[in-house]
Amino acid sequence: MSKNKGEKGNLLLELFSEEIPARMQIGSEKQLTNLFEKSLMNRDIGYGPISTFCSPRHLSVIIKNVDLKQKNQIIEKRGPRFGSNENAIHGFLKSNNIQENDIIIKDTKNGKFYFYLNQINGINTSEVLPEIINEIINNFVWPKSQRWAYSELRWARPLRNILLLFNNQPIEGKVAIDKNKFLNFSTYTFGHRNENKKIEVENIDEYQRLLENNYIILDRKKRKNKIIKDTKLLLKDKHIKLLDDDYLLDEVLGLVEFPNVLIGTIDKQFMNLPKEVLTTAMKVHQKYFSIIDDKNNLVPKFLFVSNTIPKKEIDKSIIEGNERVLKARLSDADFFWKTDTSTKIENFNEKLKKVLFYEGLGSLHDKTIRLSAVSKYFSSLFKVDVSLAREACILSKFDLVSEMVGEFPELQGIMGGYYTKLNGKPNEISNAIFDQYKPKGISNDIPKTKLGCMLSMVDNIDNLTGFFIINKKPSGSKDPFALRRAGYSIVQILMKLKLNISINDLFNETLKSYENSSKTIKLDLIDFIIDKVKFILKKQNFRDDIIESVISLKESKNYLFPILYERVKCLNDVKDTNDFKTFLVNFKRLNNIIKSNKLLDISNVKLNIHLFESSEEQEIYDKFKNLDINLKKYLTDQEHQGIILNEVVNLHYVIHSFFEKIIVNHEDNKIKVNRIKLLTELTERLLKFSNFHYIEN
Amino acid sequence: MDKNKSFQNIIIKLQNYWMDQGCVLLQPYDTEVGAGTFHPATVLRVLGPDPIWKAAYLQPCRRPTDGRYGENPNRLQHYYQFQVIIQPSPDDVQNLYLESLNAVGLNSKNHDIRFVEDDWESPTLGASGLGWEIWCNGMEITQFTYFQQVGGIEVKPVASEITYGLERLAMFIQKVENVYNLDWDGLDKDKGGKTYGDIFLQQEKEFSIYNFEKSNSSVLIQHFNDAEKECSFLLDDKINPLPLPAYDQCIKASHIFNLLDARGVISVSERQAYILRVRNMSRSCCLAWMDKSNV
Repeated sequence: MSKNKGEKGNLLLELFSEEIPARMQIGSEKQLTNLFEKSLMNRDIGYGPISTFCSPRHLSVIIKNVDLKQKNQIIEKRGPRFGSNENAIHGFLKSNNIQENDIIIKDTKNGKFYFYLNQINGINTSEVLPEIINEIINNFVWPKSQRWAYSELRWARPLRNILLLFNNQPIEGKVAIDKNKFLNFSTYTFGHRNENKKIEVENIDEYQRLLENNYIILDRKKRKNKIIKDTKLLLKDKHIKLLDDDYLLDEVLGLVEFPNVLIGTIDKQFMNLPKEVLTTAMKVHQKYFSIIDDKNNLVPKFLFVSNTIPKKEIDKSIIEGNERVLKARLSDADFFWKTDTSTKIENFNEKLKKVLFYEGLGSLHDKTIRLSAVSKYFSSLFKVDVSLAREACILSKFDLVSEMVGEFPELQGIMGGYYTKLNGKPNEISNAIFDQYKPKGISNDIPKTKLGCMLSMVDNIDNLTGFFIINKKPSGSKDPFALRRAGYSIVQILMKLKLNISINDLFNETLKSYENSSKTIKLDLIDFIIDKVKFILKKQNFRDDIIESVISLKESKNYLFPILYERVKCLNDVKDTNDFKTFLVNFKRLNNIIKSNKLLDISNVKLNIHLFESSEEQEIYDKFKNLDINLKKYLTDQEHQGIILNEVVNLHYVIHSFFEKIIVNHEDNKIKVNRIKLLTELTERLLKFSNFHYIEN
Repeated sequence: MDKNKSFQNIIIKLQNYWMDQGCVLLQPYDTEVGAGTFHPATVLRVLGPDPIWKAAYLQPCRRPTDGRYGENPNRLQHYYQFQVIIQPSPDDVQNLYLESLNAVGLNSKNHDIRFVEDDWESPTLGASGLGWEIWCNGMEITQFTYFQQVGGIEVKPVASEITYGLERLAMFIQKVENVYNLDWDGLDKDKGGKTYGDIFLQQEKEFSIYNFEKSNSSVLIQHFNDAEKECSFLLDDKINPLPLPAYDQCIKASHIFNLLDARGVISVSERQAYILRVRNMSRSCCLAWMDKSNV
């Protein structure tokens, strides 16, 4: 037995490479953890907390309290059956080179057997580490990877050094890059590019600090905090702040190893450009942050994060350099702005005819024609002016051929908004065009105006319909035309504006604007949207089974959307009340009785009140009659959903006393059939409101 | 005026630096190309015959759509790249690059140098690679690519391509905001010194007019078809195919396509077809070149 049993040590692995793309860094940390855990577990090596770090060039993992030795393995060997003859037992002992007292008797499914439990001592972790590291590196999958020189190994960018320490000891071993070339495990790494110092690491606890002394902040969170802190210092005492942009901040974190936050000035001549143009030009190409005042206006400053060791003189020249670049970028944007604003909208629209929307779906101009064709129908649904709606549709896509959107695709819609405004179009139209690509995600705002919402919806409906027709439905993880998002956007607007339209009618008008549509396509579209409706309802914290109980109704596709919503909401509101729970119990009994008698054909039987023998039957009948009348009147009335549900739920009293007092299986078959008929009629009415049997109690 | 920082001096210094690193120093290819990559010294040479190939050269490039009639301070339809191709990619290639900046008077330690993901793809060359755009204080001055594929063929061993945008680099070094104000020769004006504008402004104006307004589309389309025909004719001879002259035709076709594109006569669906035609030419040339070099 080794003395080391139960002893633990810390482990450090650093994979040092050329600059890894920012977007891959977070994922690489997670993957490193997963692969390491898997390798250790497979080898029965215990370990403690794992922390990972990633900067552009350093990808590291520190694992605390890793067993110095693999756990002892017990290998079970089955011998002859208990009671076998001496020879068999002797043979088993001999073949395993063991004595009689090494074997035990164990019960198995097939009877008692002799067993030998062979205990193999675990080997030292340090001896299996090279194998583990090779396993991790070879199983690592990057979203995109490359070869370099003769390498057979693929990595996001060339892998240049592997630092490995265990229990603060170096480990001997290597990883093959190609047939002739290896990276030996080292005990050093490298500091900031501008100093390029080789750093020997002797103590894992010192590793992070050592790197920090050499201007590498390994921990993403620390880099983030430094940026936030330094930004606050730079903007102190001024009524200005950063325009929040988490996405940009995330990207910047992956571009720097030692964030040095600096602030520059935007040349005044560009401050007349639209805010979105300035912000986008700064963000997309330069990764600069915009700064706003307390009235949300841009101030002529920009903030950026350089990857340098702060030094006053150098900082100054870095700022000047960035200001010059920005000036060039903005004079480009200014050129586009001037070109675009001196072009007539009609000329843009003419150009749209030459630009394909998608193979098989006509030009962008064709698309605007389709949108305007359905605008009449949708303008009345959205209660907006029909001529404004039509013009908004016609003008919705011209900015796609403008210079500005050509350079910055993310400004689509926004530029159309500006350009229509400058051309004297009504504000309603330019606001709608401005907002037409909203909402961009499930938690995003919908367009501000009703006309904007309409434009967004008809555009998304057209996208869905078109791509479904040419069979480009999303499948699995593939959704190149962002059709799922289009579906969510449609549902979000349906829900927020409580539009009086059924899922069944949603695509009718648009389908008419395509020549080659079909019934199947419509059904596919409806199924697709139903899926999105469920998802969005779930996001609003409605319970799965409640949603399902309503959406699964055959008629639900024909319900106006607000009714559907209201019913789910009402059910969800009462789902935890005692009355409702009692009702569900009683409904289940009702349902079971009917199910167990389903062989009985009662479709031609007429309910006969003269066969009633009890007040309970009469009472159920009265309530059912009343419910029937109310359902006929109010089943699809938004205001009455709660009232009907209340009536339904309160039926639990009469159902309960019916089951208490009445035995359905009367000896007189006529009476029995009549009772089943009564309960069936009642259940059928209940199931018009919701498939209650879907709801869990 | 600082002779050290003049445009022509930057070229000389880059040439000297890479020559010292063991590169074959070549001259620009004598046909219009869209990028230094098109030079046969890059496209064909990385496919063979020698697994070791190091070359550096200046290459004037034509991008007809980028013309701005000489009115934009940063965009040109004709500009210079300095191209370095090294196969196999050296382990310290990033440092070699940073040293080259020092050689042209840009001390990388005093600047914010950033390697920002930029995967490169040339649909017409069937080529792709992974790498970065390299920023210096926010300005992209270089493209750095590990060549993975050319002509649809795996590049083995992988080559590293470094492409300096010389105007950008010079603007950075000279701290100039308008490309036309770049100092070309480091001489004072009264001694006959020339700026970039003195040399190229007229050219930018005339070619912008030509590219956007005057080029004869039907003639160009005919040229394109002829080049394509000539290319396949030169490769069709199975006994003695001529990949180098054929590749010339491919480059010509590519440039003609760019001219047609600038003229705005190619619709979106046609565009794809043209790209595919050039791609087929370049692929055939690459395959023929490989066949020949492996003999």
